[in-house]
Amino acid sequence: MIELRNVSKTVTSGTELLTILHPLTTTIPRGQFVAVVGPSGSGKSTLLGLLAGLDSPTTGAVVIDGVDITTLSEDELARLRGQKIGFVFQFFHLIPSLTAYENVAVPMELRGRADAGTRAHALLEDVGLTGRAHHYPSQLSGGEQQRVALARALANVPPILLADEPTGNLDSENGRLIMELLTSIHRTRNTTLVLVTHDKELAALADVCIRMRDGRVV
Amino acid sequence: MFVLRMAVRETRSSWRRLLFFFICIAVGVGAIVALRSVIQSVRDVFRQEAKSLIAADVIISTNREWTPGARHAIDRRLREAGITTRTDSVETPTMVRPADESKRVSRMVELRAVEQAFPLYGTLELDGGQVYSHALLAHRGALVRPELLTALGIAVGDEIVIGRVPFTIRGVIRNEPGRRVGDFSLGPRVLVDYADLPDTGLLTFGSRVRRVVLVRMPEHVIDAVVKALRSDFKDQFINTRSFRGTDDEIGKDFERAENYLSLVGLVIVILGGIAVSSVTRVFVLQKMHSIAVLKCLGGTSWQIITIYMLQVMTLGLAGSVLGVGLARLAIAAIPYAVQSAPSSLLTEVHYGVTLSAAAQGIGIGVLVSLLFSVVPLLQVRDVKPSLLLRDDAKVPARDWTKITAAVLVSVGLIALTAWQASSLSIGVAVCTGFAALAMVLIGAGRVLVKAIAPLAQAPLFPLRHAVLHLSRPGNQTRVILLAVGLGAFFIVGVRSLQSSLLEEFSLQSAENSPDMFLLDVQPQQSGPMATFLRAPTRSAGNFRLIPVLRARVTGISGRETTIENLEDVRARGSLAREYTVTYRVGLEPNEQIVEGQFWDGPSSEAEVSIERGLHERFQINVGDTVRFDILGRVVNAKVSSVRQVDFRDSRAGGFMFVFRPGVLDDAPHTFIAPLKGPSDVQARARFQHDLVEQFPNVSVIDFREILITVRDVMSKVTLAISVVGGLVLFSGALILVGAVAMTKFQRVYEAAIFKTLGATTTTIGTMLLFEYGVLGMLSGTVGSLGAVALTWGVSRYALDIPWRPFLGEHLMSVGVTAFMVAAIGVASSLDVLRNKPLATLRSE
Repeated sequence: MIELRNVSKTVTSGTELLTILHPLTTTIPRGQFVAVVGPSGSGKSTLLGLLAGLDSPTTGAVVIDGVDITTLSEDELARLRGQKIGFVFQFFHLIPSLTAYENVAVPMELRGRADAGTRAHALLEDVGLTGRAHHYPSQLSGGEQQRVALARALANVPPILLADEPTGNLDSENGRLIMELLTSIHRTRNTTLVLVTHDKELAALADVCIRMRDGRVV
Repeated sequence: MFVLRMAVRETRSSWRRLLFFFICIAVGVGAIVALRSVIQSVRDVFRQEAKSLIAADVIISTNREWTPGARHAIDRRLREAGITTRTDSVETPTMVRPADESKRVSRMVELRAVEQAFPLYGTLELDGGQVYSHALLAHRGALVRPELLTALGIAVGDEIVIGRVPFTIRGVIRNEPGRRVGDFSLGPRVLVDYADLPDTGLLTFGSRVRRVVLVRMPEHVIDAVVKALRSDFKDQFINTRSFRGTDDEIGKDFERAENYLSLVGLVIVILGGIAVSSVTRVFVLQKMHSIAVLKCLGGTSWQIITIYMLQVMTLGLAGSVLGVGLARLAIAAIPYAVQSAPSSLLTEVHYGVTLSAAAQGIGIGVLVSLLFSVVPLLQVRDVKPSLLLRDDAKVPARDWTKITAAVLVSVGLIALTAWQASSLSIGVAVCTGFAALAMVLIGAGRVLVKAIAPLAQAPLFPLRHAVLHLSRPGNQTRVILLAVGLGAFFIVGVRSLQSSLLEEFSLQSAENSPDMFLLDVQPQQSGPMATFLRAPTRSAGNFRLIPVLRARVTGISGRETTIENLEDVRARGSLAREYTVTYRVGLEPNEQIVEGQFWDGPSSEAEVSIERGLHERFQINVGDTVRFDILGRVVNAKVSSVRQVDFRDSRAGGFMFVFRPGVLDDAPHTFIAPLKGPSDVQARARFQHDLVEQFPNVSVIDFREILITVRDVMSKVTLAISVVGGLVLFSGALILVGAVAMTKFQRVYEAAIFKTLGATTTTIGTMLLFEYGVLGMLSGTVGSLGAVALTWGVSRYALDIPWRPFLGEHLMSVGVTAFMVAAIGVASSLDVLRNKPLATLRSE
């Protein structure tokens, strides 16, 4: 379960303080599919970053399975992500110097899993990229890169999957494929899925929809 | 395991980008390994040959005639120890000429007269497979070095005249035990029979003769005998040493050489280290995105730092191994280089990379890579995973971990340098010097970059942007300035010093100044010599006969310094050497009184004027009394003045001690005569020949020949240092290529935008040319300024010669460096010019 207790984020823009997320309190139960929608700059990605511990809030607490992650150090947060959170970015963020297979294996290797290699191949097979395992990101199309990113996010079977506009950079066919994969994982594994999107059709698939504007839930 | 696997993956993808920096490490490690290996191999051979190097177990020597007391003491000590194998030998420089009167040449040689038992150790090797036996020398036979045959135009079987008597050349010496490689020599060796020496008339009073007793004895008595003899001759000018002393001495010489030369290699490795540091910084900046991703996936900062550290160490190891390979190649070439060396010992050495040198080299390479990458790698901790969402990574203002790491790294570097130099103080001094030099170079670079900042307003677009590039974030200005500047500094500095010294020497050999020295002119020869020199056919210029005596300081009683006995004098180093002294009424044109007053006439009271150097080095002051031993006679002379002598014109009188006439006039002395010899080469040879014919005991030192030797030695030294400077510059060039390669991603993107905005390839090419040209000019200027400071300091304080700026040379070096850097910079950026803009922009 994820709890947000009065979480806000303020950044400095030049000499001025700019609140990009106003205090927000909400709870996301285990296994729920939540869509976060809103225009650019509404605070969607900030919210997702705070949920993943990629960023720290200015006020409030983010509690995941009873642990306030705002009290954790950078390295403790890193370990928590490796264990519980899968993240899919709009711009894929694959490591350019690693092959598709290696990109997928990394999270498992970080946790010291002995079956990282075989599982990475299985995950790539799941996302339909068996033949592309030894290609570098620069040799893959956008859709293929996002599928690698998804396989990577699923590597440690995280109970929470966070996706930041995962179809934003893809054509409709590839976008549809990625969404099918995400929803199927949510259904079959009872994974908590938080999806940030512009797409109202995608948002309609969610159990709950959080609409945001100017850093506030509307 | 993960860390190791990631390190392998990272190395696989980025080794090309880091290659140049590790070649720098390879060059430095190669230099260290090659120098250490060669010196270790040569030292081993020398150590094995230590006995044959002095041709005995123990040598007892003196520059004076053996007194009956001394002979008696030697006989008694050797008898007590039950030693019977001994042999006498005499060495003296002298002139020889062909007996054939049609050959009107002569040459100074180092004559050695030996007995039947010589050599006690080692073999005297002769050319053409001839076997040495004393019979070859008996009845006025001589063995000579091949150089003498060439110089006099004679061959084996011909006769040469030594002193008053002719000797027949019976063989050619290839290698002689008891003569060390690199020993200073006045001329080629000539070996004759000990029994024939008195006939030559060379053993006249005051001539420069070294008498030696070589002794062979069992190992266990050596130390006791040497100790006993040393105590017997404590207050006499007799020197006793054993082969062990030579062994130690050789060991120390080689160790010193090994350590100092290794420091040069270390400087190159450290330069590579600076490059590693700079490249790691840029590398982390480029990898920030991947680091953020790794953190997002659960990687901790230390895991990621370890990945990159392992990568740096792997490449450091690879560079070091490559360095060992380079050293092997360089060493393989040595046997060919020393084939023609006169000493056969060098050709006996088995040249190869020694295990200890290779291990040290690899250790240093890896350590330096590690030390220099630690601090920049700590940046990994500052990378936040939120970078993937928003680019707002902030760096903490003061990072104590980084500061602590920097301090530890500095300590590590000092320890490394101290280890290499085998001295903590040298380690600290070298590191401080290096840091100071680096700071000066960087500081000067910063000032120069500021000085050209107004050019950023220049109307010329490429120039404006070139100047802006020099101070952009993540620029390589500092590292290139340091690397290329240091190389330029070494080379320009050494070349300027060489030019300065050569000019100094050519000044000395100027038109009307004396260029020949006659030594050992006996008092009874002064009249005939004057007549000889005045003869118009000799075309000898002005000459003077200066009376000289050989004296040693045996005590000082003074205000600041009091020395009681010879032993204490010996403890003062050069004060114990034998000085050539003179007496006269007035000052020479190259002298100036700086303290006290010079006498105006003879006196029966002993008075001496000392050179300023003695006053400064040994604190001998006006009013002090110096006790001299002048050929066995004790003279207590009061110091009445201190003279400053201009040694550039020393042939007019470069004496450390000048006595007041009156006391020494009747002492046995000889004359030296500086004179201007005939300018024509043949007339000069004839002049020397005639002089030696008439005055067989007189030696002629031809300053022109010495100048040629000095030039030769200097060009070799300059070459050696230039090779080192060249290596530094080569490393600089590598760092330059590497730095360009590292920042290429930035340039490719910028060039694409410039092209999109309408810049032509020529414009961008000109921009690059300006940028690297300016950078090269700055490096050259900084290096040249450093070289100016170096030559000034060395000229003023070490060589005591006037400083000459050599403006032309410095301007040329700035030009050459600018050209080189510009050429390398543009050549390594060719693909920046070639890339299509759309492809680049799309991939961003």
